[in-house]
Amino acid sequence: MKDNIVIVGGGIAGMEAARQLLKLGYNPIIVEKSDRLGGHVAQWHCLFPDMTPAKDVVSSLIEATGRANIFLNTEISFMNRLKDSYNIMLTNGVSVIAKVVLVTTGFSVFDAGKKEEYGYGVYDQVMTNSDLEHWFNDGNDDRIDGSEMNAIGFVHCVGSRDEKARNPQCSKVCCITAVKQAIEIKKRFPDAMVYCFYMDLRMFGKKYEDFYIAAQRDYGVRFIRGRVSEVSENIEGKVIVKAEDTLAGKPVKVTLDLLVLMAGMVCNPDCSTLAGMVSLQTDSDGFFKSRDNIADITSSSRDGIYYAGACTGPKTVPETLAEARSAALEIHSYINRL
Amino acid sequence: MRERFLTGYNDFVLPFMIGMVFILTYCIIALIRIIGQLPKEDRRRFFISLITPKTLAKNIKDIFCDCLLHVKIWKRNKLLGYMHSSIAFGWFMLIVVGHIEVLLYTPHRAKLFYYPIFFRYFVAETETTMKGAVLFFLMDFFLLVVLSGIALAIIKRIRSKIFGMRRTTNPSFLDLVGLYSLWSIFPLRLLAEGFTADISGGSFLTKSLNYVFTSFLSDHANMLPSWWAYSCALGIFFCVLPFTRYMHIPSEILLIPLRNAGIKIRHARKGLAKAQVYSCPSCGLCIDACPMSVQKGNIKDTTVYLNRQIRRGNEVRIEEISDKCLLCGKCTAICPVGVEGDKLRIAQRSVRKYGLSPDYSSIDTASLAIDSRGKILYYAGCMTALTPSIRKAMESLLKKAGVEYELMDKDGGICCGRPMWMAGRFDQAKQMVEKNTGIIRNSGADTLLLSCPICYRIFKERYSLEGIRIVHHTEFIDSLISEGRLKIKRDPRKYVYHDPCELGRGSGIYEQPRNVLLRAGTLVEAAKNRKESICCGGSVGSLSLSFDKRKALTENALNNLTAASPDVIVTACPLCLSTFSRYADRKVEDIAETIDRNTSN
Repeated sequence: MKDNIVIVGGGIAGMEAARQLLKLGYNPIIVEKSDRLGGHVAQWHCLFPDMTPAKDVVSSLIEATGRANIFLNTEISFMNRLKDSYNIMLTNGVSVIAKVVLVTTGFSVFDAGKKEEYGYGVYDQVMTNSDLEHWFNDGNDDRIDGSEMNAIGFVHCVGSRDEKARNPQCSKVCCITAVKQAIEIKKRFPDAMVYCFYMDLRMFGKKYEDFYIAAQRDYGVRFIRGRVSEVSENIEGKVIVKAEDTLAGKPVKVTLDLLVLMAGMVCNPDCSTLAGMVSLQTDSDGFFKSRDNIADITSSSRDGIYYAGACTGPKTVPETLAEARSAALEIHSYINRL
Repeated sequence: MRERFLTGYNDFVLPFMIGMVFILTYCIIALIRIIGQLPKEDRRRFFISLITPKTLAKNIKDIFCDCLLHVKIWKRNKLLGYMHSSIAFGWFMLIVVGHIEVLLYTPHRAKLFYYPIFFRYFVAETETTMKGAVLFFLMDFFLLVVLSGIALAIIKRIRSKIFGMRRTTNPSFLDLVGLYSLWSIFPLRLLAEGFTADISGGSFLTKSLNYVFTSFLSDHANMLPSWWAYSCALGIFFCVLPFTRYMHIPSEILLIPLRNAGIKIRHARKGLAKAQVYSCPSCGLCIDACPMSVQKGNIKDTTVYLNRQIRRGNEVRIEEISDKCLLCGKCTAICPVGVEGDKLRIAQRSVRKYGLSPDYSSIDTASLAIDSRGKILYYAGCMTALTPSIRKAMESLLKKAGVEYELMDKDGGICCGRPMWMAGRFDQAKQMVEKNTGIIRNSGADTLLLSCPICYRIFKERYSLEGIRIVHHTEFIDSLISEGRLKIKRDPRKYVYHDPCELGRGSGIYEQPRNVLLRAGTLVEAAKNRKESICCGGSVGSLSLSFDKRKALTENALNNLTAASPDVIVTACPLCLSTFSRYADRKVEDIAETIDRNTSN
């Protein structure tokens, strides 16, 4: 009989792990709380740095996991430890006994309304990075369609590296996402001025630096080092942004047609519910705590529970996929050890 | 009554006399010093107030109510009130009745300090004494009252909870010496008078005790040691008194007239500040009141410990404690003797030496000039700039009510100066006050509208803008509604109102926001509200409390607000709003937003 492996979360981490586990001859069961697979990536337009369409990544994963058991609109209602396995009850009434549970609950996008000073939800012409990706995908948003786009601004680090927003961690991907989105916007509105307000840019990945240089050289995106101090709205509904250009040592004030907030990654609120069921540890940032942050990132402190992807902290797509594969391998050797 | 001793003296009075002379000398010197430390105009004001009949009457009333009856403590907790007033008022009555006895029976001894205290030792009962039975009864009665107070005080040391206090102060070594000598005075007096009751007479307490004693201690020679012990207890108490918390007893008698004379703290350590510090009875009511005490590590940073450290001159701790405080002013609001914890701390901050003293006098205000003749000038303030929803809602309300207004700080502005004032940097604050006064005066406006209580307080307290109405938006919305300029409709929501420190305790505005909310929906109250409302934890008052340490404070304040499970938390301060929204589990909004949603015209 094939061993059951419950995968909590049907994002790219869950699907990639399921794909690998299927190959290894297991029976993965994906439990997804929403009505579709693919998580956040499925809603993205294209991925940095090669502008790979996100749709392609997700659809190839969905195809590859076709043989797995997938429960949509389902959550874990409770989970308890048996001798060497877990008894899991799902909200759809199905109960499963599995030797291994793989947690791939991912992250949540920071609620930009909490940084009220940036005016999300208060001023009309303010949106978030995910709102912009939606528009890239379906081209339907009053904030962009309704007005002329002459100047557009991006605010980096909204709700990340921000103690006051309760998120001191760096979300890792927003710097490069902003560069990517700025280029995409510039492609759509070649005459518009595009500004990026940043504290510092963390271009750590392969080809990121080239991408950033290209944004400046080939697309003319203006990078202003300095946090935004105040956002207000003028009588025409345009957004006025005040900031300090800390390189020039001068205050700047720009009037924009659209302001995009680069909302960061925060821990999924489901983390704590799940952690409560089988007493898993969470870190000070709210993400799950790995057994070891260097050598054993996919293992939890409990036997038979594994992590993959952004449930242990902000990650890029390739990192998430690599972790999912590594978790599948860990699970395989764990089951063989039993 | 007749005298037993021709000399009217015994050696055992010496400890008492030494203590008494010491404490009197100490208090007189301290009194002269404190009055000498007052600035000249304050001193004049103080002396004038002492002979003004109105303040004189108030002084007497306050001293009687606060020092003897402890009315404020009664209002807080009956048992705690009884404990304090039984000891203070009982002891006072023992002294009064004791003097009456001396004046009645041995008037020629009245000039002797110790005679009324040890009266029972020196006299013997005669046939005619029955006339004094009432006095005898009163003496025993008040002794019993004091003893009951002492018994409660002992219980309070063990279980402060039944007195409505979760935490009390940790007494210092000398405090304990004072405490134990105070506790022992009255039982020893009972013992001493019990021994002599068959000679000098007594009433239900001392007489009965005497019967018990005679059955096994019939020898009268034993009475002298007990009178010695009583005198020693008094002597020790008086000698340590200036160095213990009991110094509050004489100090408060000075503090009350100073306060009634309207004198303010002008120096961090001298004059009124000194009188306040010494008036602190270390009762520890401020420990429970302090919003920071939700974290155990902050308990030693409450006002009672600030007073103790100032008395000790521990500069390092004084700086730490004064910088940490949120300046919410709750300790001041509940203090039974009137120690102003917040102002005392600002005064400590003001004597700090800084390496850099910014000078704002060169800021050019020409670009900020505005013409708002006949209009309302709306100064939103920097905190409102960070919470744009408040300004948006307020502007919408002004438009709906047809009020003509002009924004004073639409395109940058000058800080109101309150944060600098809180930091004790009065010179910088005054520079800002001057700049803003110029802008407002030149604008020609007759009303200044503010939506931040932090600004509102300094505009009320430190700006001289005679002829210009200074109004917070809660007051303004209230008046717009009562004038019928805003049509408000009710919604089914349940609201709770959070009193911001600077608006409530700071400026005394409690009713207007409630009036407004009552018309918008159902208003429920927080567990602790108005004067006792709990600071949101975001206050700009604290100079050193780090962000992560404030979380527990905010959560505690939120638990207090949600006691009656409201749907929406309403506040009237942009800083409270942004602090609460960070951790709240339900909607938090400004009162302007609530009313904007509930008005249509």
